[in-house]
Amino acid sequence: MNAVVRLQDEARERYRELLATTAQTLPGQDLDWLTAQRAEATAAFLRQGFPTRKDEAWRYTSLDKLLQQTRVTKVAPLPALNAADVEPFRLTDNAVARLVFVNGVLCPALSHTQDIETEVEISGLRAALERTPDKIAGWLGRAAGTAPTRFAALNTALHNDGVWIYIPAGVRLVGPIEVLYLSSGTEVALALSPRNLIVLENGAHATVVEHYASYGAANCFTNSLTEVQLGEAAEMEHYRLQDEDALATHLSSLFIRQGRSSHYHGLGVSLGGTWSRTEYHNGFEQPNARCDLDGLYVAGDRQLTDFHLDIRHAMPGCTSRERFKGILLGRGRAVFDGRIRVEQDAQQTDAVLTNHNLLLSRDAEVDTKPQLEIFADDVKCAHGTTIGQLEPAQMFYLRSRGIRAEDARRMLCLGFATELLADCGVPGFRAQVERRLESRLLAEPALEME
Amino acid sequence: MLSIKDLKVSVDGKPILQGVNLQIRPGEVHAIMGPNGSGKSTLAHVLTGREGYQVTGGEVRYEGEDLLGLEVEERAHKGLFLALQYPVELPGVNNMVFLREALNAIRTARGEPPLDAVQFIKLVRDKANAVNIDPELLKRSVNAGFSGGEKKRNEILQMALLEPKLAILDETDSGLDIDALRIVADGVNTLRAPHRAMIVVTHYQRLLDYIEPDYVHVLVGGRILRSGDKSLALELEEKGYGWITEEAAA
Repeated sequence: MNAVVRLQDEARERYRELLATTAQTLPGQDLDWLTAQRAEATAAFLRQGFPTRKDEAWRYTSLDKLLQQTRVTKVAPLPALNAADVEPFRLTDNAVARLVFVNGVLCPALSHTQDIETEVEISGLRAALERTPDKIAGWLGRAAGTAPTRFAALNTALHNDGVWIYIPAGVRLVGPIEVLYLSSGTEVALALSPRNLIVLENGAHATVVEHYASYGAANCFTNSLTEVQLGEAAEMEHYRLQDEDALATHLSSLFIRQGRSSHYHGLGVSLGGTWSRTEYHNGFEQPNARCDLDGLYVAGDRQLTDFHLDIRHAMPGCTSRERFKGILLGRGRAVFDGRIRVEQDAQQTDAVLTNHNLLLSRDAEVDTKPQLEIFADDVKCAHGTTIGQLEPAQMFYLRSRGIRAEDARRMLCLGFATELLADCGVPGFRAQVERRLESRLLAEPALEME
Repeated sequence: MLSIKDLKVSVDGKPILQGVNLQIRPGEVHAIMGPNGSGKSTLAHVLTGREGYQVTGGEVRYEGEDLLGLEVEERAHKGLFLALQYPVELPGVNNMVFLREALNAIRTARGEPPLDAVQFIKLVRDKANAVNIDPELLKRSVNAGFSGGEKKRNEILQMALLEPKLAILDETDSGLDIDALRIVADGVNTLRAPHRAMIVVTHYQRLLDYIEPDYVHVLVGGRILRSGDKSLALELEEKGYGWITEEAAA
């Protein structure tokens, strides 16, 4: 226990230094409201420190390795990447805008926006804070708050850049917005804090693709935070892929707030990193909204994947569907903690949460914990979780048609994931996820179950 | 082509097949009939290599080779095919993808080049027409949400596409109404060929009105108690299985 406390204290001191040395370089120095947010977040973080396994939300997830390393927020500029270098990371073929960040810094030469209607804003957050801070004031921190969690506080204190998307009322974009975060290098251990702010006004429609990847080996800790604010009847499709290097650690916190009759459809795919956690904090600010939240994760040897859902039904007549599926290989580990809370006034809530896991190895491990907390009396709520293996009858059927056992496993795993990918509105995203999933399954030696 | 000698098979230590003998030559259609629990499906499954069956005696040679020593997929590569009594649902696995992977796996194993997407689509459409199957079934997940008749027709489509040398049809008639039965039987009949043998496993004589066998074998208590031509099936239809059991006991 003393060792844990010591590690915690040392890590907190290192981050105190990091915060102090970084503060002067962050955007928005002259913005009082932002300076106040950062000061409050810094104080909250330094007061609370990092979570330990005594915290319920971190019970299955050890931070020890992450906390042992000294990290920096900036690295000497990379040899410039060119368009051909980042092309393999493309997930869309008709993007209206593509923003590429390398080690946390927006690369204008690799980014583009085209044919964007007036009043639509798609740009780097740093640039927007410098040019048009008034447009951002009031939105930044509105969905998330300043320090809702310790890592969110750290992001608020340290965010340096990210994407700013503002879609005015009634505007429907003709193609997706693609955002690529590339990390690269192992000479220093990086800590990056991208901050994404997405606002859809009443009746606006947009599709956003967020992609976290590595260019070569990358020892990077990404502490990303994405805020989404949907106005009345706004509709957003939000596809996320985390496929970082095996050395990388990744935390994504999403804070999504929905207006009346709005619709949010999210698909989060987590394939890479040694340690990866995604937190969805969804809330309905007005009645009759709908949220479809899907997730797919793969964890193999030396990987821990962690999904946390905190879905708040505080308004009546809202619907949420949470479908999460995991494939575990080798000694992979997964944690799924899905909580739906239905407040007393949230009558006619309709919520269904499922988590299905496919274990392809005896050594893999899943901790799944669905929680329904219901305080209203006129609701339809259900949850279901399974942890299973490939069906022997299905394997036999495929093999009896001449298909080799490893191909049969690959086909069944893809079939398992297809339910979620079938609803994906960006064909390139789906195709890339399927391709990466296939290569992961073929590369994994420990597919022994029989 | 297939030679089964004194085959003994147990399931969970319980003897099911107790010395089966059977010779099959190319072009022949053999019907295996018998009451429930006589070992018909066990025979079909053990020939295709399903897990859970312990061979405790005898041997099976297929084109001169020890069949029981081969992996499931190797048997398929060498031309063995089992149409299942209960075709398995594969949610999320597209039927077209499934058929292409199967055909190309078999072609590759035979040293033939795999078909590309265009070649394959043309072939599978031709085959679907030949066995009178709605091409819409190709777009769906394998057997998922298919009716009983659609599942059985999908089995026949696979057989038409994979062109086995030895096809085993396990209770293909079960659960089919008369119209579906006719479509399935017509499909099977179009696949009869001088180089192809078939084993038709069935409880009822009904199927044999549509698929005429060259030989009929009666399997009771894990043994073939009687063999004959198709008139034996008619006799069974009339008298039931009891008389064979009684004759054997006498």
